Amino acid sequence: MTVETYRIDHAPAYAGLTLQLKAGETMVVESGAMATMDSCITLKSKMKGGLLQGLGRMLGGESLFLSEFTAEGRPGQLYVCPGVPGDIEHYCLDGSRSLLIQSSGFVAARPTVTIDTQFQGMKGFFSGESLFLLRATGTGDIWFSSFGGILEVPVTGDYVVDTGYIVAFEDSLNYSVEMLGGLSLQGLRTGILGGDGLVCRFRGQGKVWIQTRRLHNLINFLEPFRPVKSSDSLTSGFSLLKFLGSFFR
Amino acid sequence: MEFDLLKRPDSTVVHVSLSPHEEILAEAGAMVAMSGHLQAETTLRKGKGGGILGGLKRMLAGESIFLSTFRSGNSPGDLYLAPKLMGDVCHVGIGSTGSALGGSGSGLVVQSTGYLASTPGVVVDLGFQGLKSFFSGESIFWLDISGDGVVFLSSFGAIYEIEVDGSYVVDTGHIVAFEKTLTFTVTKAGGSWLNAILGGEGLVMRFQGHGKLYCQTHNAGAFGQLVGSQLPAREA
Repeated sequence: MTVETYRIDHAPAYAGLTLQLKAGETMVVESGAMATMDSCITLKSKMKGGLLQGLGRMLGGESLFLSEFTAEGRPGQLYVCPGVPGDIEHYCLDGSRSLLIQSSGFVAARPTVTIDTQFQGMKGFFSGESLFLLRATGTGDIWFSSFGGILEVPVTGDYVVDTGYIVAFEDSLNYSVEMLGGLSLQGLRTGILGGDGLVCRFRGQGKVWIQTRRLHNLINFLEPFRPVKSSDSLTSGFSLLKFLGSFFR
Repeated sequence: MEFDLLKRPDSTVVHVSLSPHEEILAEAGAMVAMSGHLQAETTLRKGKGGGILGGLKRMLAGESIFLSTFRSGNSPGDLYLAPKLMGDVCHVGIGSTGSALGGSGSGLVVQSTGYLASTPGVVVDLGFQGLKSFFSGESIFWLDISGDGVVFLSSFGAIYEIEVDGSYVVDTGHIVAFEKTLTFTVTKAGGSWLNAILGGEGLVMRFQGHGKLYCQTHNAGAFGQLVGSQLPAREA
């Protein structure tokens, strides 16, 4: 009989990850993501891979520290929940290719998996997204999360994804960030994150995971509801206009 | 053209498979991912109605919507479309497509944020429901949907249908769309204005006639006020 090592519940809205640890087994978890655990599990917070890698991860939007959870003496159960409600997906690294993950998407991994940041440079996801991706190499299981549901898209040839919807992809794919003029709203709308027609074009063979919602859309929606600092009548009149204008978007 | 609704009911996304030389119209910004060769074009659509009165109506109503068209060209392709907020998507047949799907096929009036996408046979116009909709405090313009095809509606929260025969009352923040066979007036919910305001039910839409209503379980405006008012103030 095979014992399940992990389970994802309540997807796609409120996915939580249950990990079954054998005695002595360790899991690396995003710092702060542990929700509940058996009392035999001990926590060790550490900068995995030393200070430089830790700093790299922090730049990547993840926290500096990753937590290591180890089942001491007997098997135990660990319940991990990402900070943002959404979905969780599992991937198994076989050593032949690595996985690139959107910077805030890491949830948990086996200790045999190495997590680094990869600076994207000018090619990066500069549409209000992070400039960094996390690169997972090595072998073993890794779990990543999204806002909204996660869909697996097998790419053969040429596929385009809005940069804000990318969760993860295999590095067997070539990618380039470009602007699709046909999708651009720049000059038409202002103050909106995204909507600038920036897409990531993937080429080759491999898998891409996309999320069905993006956090920026929620932020954009809430923006006009924020209270407005008014300093004098002129600016408050202007802000009223802006507020009214926000209805017309 | 084939489509699928995935990740229902809270993070619903529409997966559309296009045959060669097909196209689909969607709200701008709805595209999540698509085949690399699809051609996309975004245009600003303005309301109809000429003359001073038409122009004035448009100005008051702020009627304009950005719509993107996706064309497959010579080879088949697929794309994913998602609404902006958490919630569901449903599809409604219009015209003879609607009758074939077992519905009435009646044209729809859709709240502007309730529109996600439509097939090419569907005519999307910017309708004007008069100043009454302005005073309802909700989204100011409505889309007038007619023609023949399928339209995708999106909701904040879940979406549910109500068959109206006679009259029916809906809170202004919970309406997604209604069939054109219905007419509405904006009115107060309680017996007196004081009652209506203190009761927190402000204004409601009173529908008359025979037809279908599409409602959403949550009120996006109320949610926005609840969360937004607690965020730090922004610079004017």
